Amino acid sequence: MSADNDILLRVEDLVMHFPIYRGVIQRQVGAVHAVDGISFDVRRGETLGLVGESGCGKSTTGRTILQLYKPTAGHVYFDGSDLIALKREEMRWMRREMQMIFQDPYASLNPRMTVEQIIGEPLMVHNVGTRNEIRERVEHLLELVKLNPSFASRYPHEFSGGQRQRIGIARALALQPSFIVCDEPISALDVSIQAQVINLLQELQQQFNLTYLFIAHDLSVVRHISKRVAVMYLGVIVELAERKDLYSNPLHPYSQALLSAVPVPDPVIETQRKRVILEGDVPSPVNPPSGCRFRTRCPIAEAICAQERPEFRELKSGHFVACHFAERFVQ
Amino acid sequence: MGTYIIRRLLLVPVLLFGVTVLIFGMLQFLSPVERSALYVRDIPKNDNAINGIIKTYGLDQPLYVQYWRWMVGRTDTVTGKRTGGILFGDFGYSRTASTTVNNLILTRFPNTLDLTLWAVVPVISVGIWLGVQAAVHQNGFIDQAARIFSIIGTSFPTFVFGLLMLLIFYANLQWFPPGRLSDWASQIVYSSSFHHYTSLLTIDSLLNGRLDIFWDAMRHMLMPILTLSYISWATFVRVTRSSMLETLRMEYVTTARAKGLPENVVINKHARPNAMLPVVTLAGFQVITLLGGVVITETVFNYPGIGQAAANAAAQLDVITVLGFAIFNGLILILANLVVDVMYAFIDPRVRLS
Repeated sequence: MSADNDILLRVEDLVMHFPIYRGVIQRQVGAVHAVDGISFDVRRGETLGLVGESGCGKSTTGRTILQLYKPTAGHVYFDGSDLIALKREEMRWMRREMQMIFQDPYASLNPRMTVEQIIGEPLMVHNVGTRNEIRERVEHLLELVKLNPSFASRYPHEFSGGQRQRIGIARALALQPSFIVCDEPISALDVSIQAQVINLLQELQQQFNLTYLFIAHDLSVVRHISKRVAVMYLGVIVELAERKDLYSNPLHPYSQALLSAVPVPDPVIETQRKRVILEGDVPSPVNPPSGCRFRTRCPIAEAICAQERPEFRELKSGHFVACHFAERFVQ
Repeated sequence: MGTYIIRRLLLVPVLLFGVTVLIFGMLQFLSPVERSALYVRDIPKNDNAINGIIKTYGLDQPLYVQYWRWMVGRTDTVTGKRTGGILFGDFGYSRTASTTVNNLILTRFPNTLDLTLWAVVPVISVGIWLGVQAAVHQNGFIDQAARIFSIIGTSFPTFVFGLLMLLIFYANLQWFPPGRLSDWASQIVYSSSFHHYTSLLTIDSLLNGRLDIFWDAMRHMLMPILTLSYISWATFVRVTRSSMLETLRMEYVTTARAKGLPENVVINKHARPNAMLPVVTLAGFQVITLLGGVVITETVFNYPGIGQAAANAAAQLDVITVLGFAIFNGLILILANLVVDVMYAFIDPRVRLS
């Protein structure tokens, strides 16, 4: 990974452990290993997809990058500056550049504020323009996400899920950020609305040269929108590659299992194809397995997998994988 | 909003009708002989006297006839003068207070209102502040202290706490006396030079410019105020804290942080107003309970409020007075609920349309 100008966000060995307290004196008895040492780059203008099952730490990764949680260890470099070293007030200003779109459009909008207040508030706190300028900007943003500007005085409960998500997108765009974390922005939406929101996100990306970290568990959606894709399992990234590489030649057994779970819209192929079916449940992130995180469910695990944590290595150009035996899958 | 309030006000008579039916219905659990005891002062010498009373007052008549009589009162056939009649706002004559029930309510209710006013202010302001602080600094020092105090507060029986206060501040330290006013002060208050603007003693004494009387009234009220506020304050802190904790976990609070808002704006503008919904409901209930007369606290401190009068009447089987208080309480409950609902609509935009 070279430190060139092309890279907007660099995550280095990011760790986020949530302590668990018990008892009267609230002694720490353990920790949830939500994110356990992950590293990756996000290049300017690209969409990096982040996939994995629920509970694997995708959302925590997104939130920790934005410093909504204070990371346990590691570094997050945004445009060259280390976010973790920033003071509170400096970080507050940095937030203009990095915004977030949330999963649940019902929970992420304050029910007591009008749309104008919701979208206009970031502008207000960061002293962008006068009251009238802000109102104009809000109307412009509403048009941008294809909502009627006259909706500005309404409250969130008067909108449908898709409309609410677009309000959330307008809010995220208000400060003209360069980087947006999309935390499962479509998984709470109706399938018919999902495509609209995806297309909107792509249009906006082109128009404003936005960089997305797109968190999702829907592999087809990620394939559609991402340039590169990272696969997460139990707090670690197991594979990271260009979209084409990953979908045509997954090198990690977990990625292979995930991809084989995607149904094929052709009944003949669907009934004939061979699926990798994983056994057992995801282990508890409080007490993750030693060595390779995936070994307890891996079809090809051997003794070394329990002893050594596999290195996250570049096996092909731009194709990273964390598995001792990945070589055997290279095509 | 206007039509909403009018609609709710139109409902008040309907609800009151329901209240009277309920109260009247409960009275019917007593047999006519038992109810006739209301009109007897001594044990009758003549066995037939009871039957005579039952006949005169129609206690054996069908229910609707009795209910109607209760509502409109009795009209004297000779003079044409009406006595009683709930419908006309006449609650009848209180045997225990030797005055009309209306009069009794009019003299006692301002005292209870006075007490409520002074008890509610510290409860709501301090309770909300402390609850919010406890939630924001969850598991911190303020939180732990608030939780311990509120657990003690909710589990402390009012009368024990009240008696404890009496023991310490009245018997031992002799700082605060029970009752309503000192003798010298009541002489001034009931003289013609003292103007009764609101009939709330504390307010009136301030309006009359008599700080000494205000201070005297306060000294008498401080112990009941402390007792009442400590007990309701505890519930307040708990509800505010848990509601605030829940709101702080909402995604729009995270959104507010992600916007780059300073933390105090996140808490005071985004989290706290949304956490206030259950608190407003609770405040409504607390005020209703206080206004209905706090029987135990008023009795312990010999404070001449509405609760003490009602307890007196009940202990002496003065059914007329108890009925009057019950209906009056119903009225307060209905009106206070209306106020809470209207406040709700102001706080929560989602309520406004429905």
